[in-house]
Amino acid sequence: MFFHIVLERNMQLHPRHFGRDLREKLVSKLMKDVEGTCSGRHGFIVAITGIESVGKGLIREGTGFVTFPVKYQCVVFRPFKGEILEAVVTMVNKMGFFAEAGPVQIFVSNHLIPDDMEFQSGDIPNYTTSDGSVKIQKDNEVRLKIIGTRVDATEIFCIGTIKDDFLGVISDPSATT
Amino acid sequence: MSVEPFNRLVKLAARAFYDDITTKAENQPKNGRSDNRGIAVVILDALTRRQWVREEDLAKDLKLHSKQLRRTLRFFEEEKLITRDHRKETAKGAKIYNAAVAATIDGQQTGREGDEKVKMHTHSYCCLDYAQIYDVVRYRLHRMRKKLKDELDNKNTVLEYICPNCGKRYNALDALRLISMDDEDFHCEICNGVLEVDSGKLASQEIGDGDDNAKRRHRDKLEDLLKKMEVQLKPLMEQLNRVKDLPVPEFGNLQAWEARASAAARAANGDLSNDPSKSSQGLGFGGTPMPFLGETKVEVAFSGLEEKGNIKSEGASAPLKVLPPWMIKQGMNLTKEQRGEVKEEGKMDGSRAPAGASDEKKSATEKHDEKNIQDEYVKAYYAALLQRQREQEVSVKKEEELPNSNPLSGDYGTSNERQVGMKSKREDEDDGDDVEWEEEATAGNTSKPFKVNDLNVQADADDATGDDEDDDGIDWE
Repeated sequence: MFFHIVLERNMQLHPRHFGRDLREKLVSKLMKDVEGTCSGRHGFIVAITGIESVGKGLIREGTGFVTFPVKYQCVVFRPFKGEILEAVVTMVNKMGFFAEAGPVQIFVSNHLIPDDMEFQSGDIPNYTTSDGSVKIQKDNEVRLKIIGTRVDATEIFCIGTIKDDFLGVISDPSATT
Repeated sequence: MSVEPFNRLVKLAARAFYDDITTKAENQPKNGRSDNRGIAVVILDALTRRQWVREEDLAKDLKLHSKQLRRTLRFFEEEKLITRDHRKETAKGAKIYNAAVAATIDGQQTGREGDEKVKMHTHSYCCLDYAQIYDVVRYRLHRMRKKLKDELDNKNTVLEYICPNCGKRYNALDALRLISMDDEDFHCEICNGVLEVDSGKLASQEIGDGDDNAKRRHRDKLEDLLKKMEVQLKPLMEQLNRVKDLPVPEFGNLQAWEARASAAARAANGDLSNDPSKSSQGLGFGGTPMPFLGETKVEVAFSGLEEKGNIKSEGASAPLKVLPPWMIKQGMNLTKEQRGEVKEEGKMDGSRAPAGASDEKKSATEKHDEKNIQDEYVKAYYAALLQRQREQEVSVKKEEELPNSNPLSGDYGTSNERQVGMKSKREDEDDGDDVEWEEEATAGNTSKPFKVNDLNVQADADDATGDDEDDDGIDWE
C-alpha cells in the first residue's frame, strides 16, 4: 500500500556546496540518500515529492560540515498482510517461485500454488496446469495475495499465495509475442 | 442472574479442553501415581459451586496439596478462566481465635496486643470469571475452526522448512536467504544441507513430495477432523448460544463481593443478633463466607456461641424443636456463664474489622432484648407453674390426699430457684414422676397400715380370734 507522508531527516552538507545553490544541492543529496531505502516502520521510500521546510543549519566543529534538519514529503510503499499485489515473476524452482512488486520480494511456495499446477523442470522451469493453458514462468506477471510479511529494520520480505479466487497469471509476455 | 447455564458452560469447557491437562514440572518423571490428569476438571467443577474462595480452603475441601492447586490455578489464570486476588491479612482465624480465648481466660483485654503481634500473611483468593470464560471459549472454538479450515484449503499458511541434518527450522519468510544459485533447493545456512518441507501441522503424512494421492488423503483427514470437532463440541456450542443473551453473573472484585455477600447474609437473616458479629468475624479473619454452601445458615441459631453453642445446638436441636418457644430462650439463659467470654470475642472483632464497629452496640441491644426475653420467660414460667399447681391440686383432690400435696408444692419452689434450662424439663418430668412416686408412696402408705393391721391381726390371731388363721394354725399344729 502506498502512503504520502512527511518525514524528517538531518542532512549533513559538505562546506564546498555552500553557495548560491545550497538548497538545490541539499535536495539532490536528500533524494540520493533516501529514495529506494527501506525502513521497517514506513516501508520503502519510493519518491520524494517535495520539501516541507529546511531548518537552521548547525556547523559541526572540526569538520565544517553543516547539519540541516529537513522535512520532506514522500511516497512510501509498505506491503501488508492480506493485500493483493501484482508482481513480476523473477525465479521459478521446485520449491515455488519468487516475484517482485517494485522493491518488494515475494516468495510463493509450491503449497500456495493451485494443486492443478505442476512444476516442470527444464530449460525454463515453470508451473503449468495439466491442460497447459496456464503457465507460470520467469517474467510472467501474477496477481497474488500477501499472507505474511517479515519487516526488518532495512528490508521487507513477503510470502504470497495464488491459491485463491482471481489470483494467478494476469499476462504472459511469451504468449502475446 | 442465574449462574446455572454458565456453570454448565464451564463444566462442558472443562471436559472439552482441560480434561488431560497435567500440571507437572518437566523434571518430574512420569509415572502412574503422580498422574494428575482430570484434576483441572475437578477444580473447575468445585469453583462452579463457589464464588470467591480462599485457595487454602479450596485445597482443604478438595483434599489437594495447596501447591498443586496453586499450580493449576495459575494455569487457569493464564487461560483467563479465573481471576485471582492476593492480599495481606492477619494470620489464620484459628490463631486469632486462640489468642482471643487466651485473653478471656486471663480476664484482661490483651486481645488487641495479640492482634498486632500476629504476622501478616498473603492469602490468595480465586473466582471464576464468567464473562471472560464465555469469550475465551468462543475464541478458542473460533481459532480451532479457523486453523482447520485454513489448513483444509491450504490458505494463509506459512510453510516451515526443516534441515534434516541439524534440525534447524526455517519458514517461508527466510526463503530469499536460503535459495542457492547452484541448484533449486533451499540450503541450510549452517550445514548447507538440503531443507525439507516440514508438514508438522496437523497431518503428518508426506505431503512434501507433492504427491496427489497424499494431498487428497491429507484433505480427507482434515475434513474428518473438522467434522469430528463439530460433532464433539456441539453441546458446548449449544451452551454458548444459550448463554449468549443471558446476563453474565458478575461477582466483582474480592472486596466488593465480600461486602455484598455479608450485606446479603445480614439481610437474609434479619435482625438475628448473631449474624453481624459472625459476618464481621468472617471479614476480620479473612474467612470467606460461602453463601452457596448454606452451612452458615444452619449455625446461626445461637448468638455468638461459636464452639460451645454449636455442639449444644446439635445435641439439643432435636428436643428443642418440640419444646414451647420459651424453653428455647431459656437455652440462652443457660449459657449465660459463657456470655462474658463471648462478648469479649465480639469486641475484639470490632477492633479488627471496620465492619464490626457497630457490633458492640448491637450486642448491647441484643442483651437488652435478652433481658426482656428472660422476664417474659419468668412470667410464662410462673404462669405455667400456677396452672400446673392447680391441676395438681385438682388431681390430688380427686385422690383425696390433701396432706401429701403440700410437700409437692414445696418441691416446685425449689425447682423455681434452679434455673437450669434444659434440665428444668427433666425436672418437670421428675415432678411428674414425683407425683406418681408420691402416689405410689401414698399407696404404700395406705398399704402400710394394712400390713400393720395384718401384723396386728396376725398377732391377734396368735392371741386368739381370726377364722382363717385359726384353720391354718390348726392344720399346722
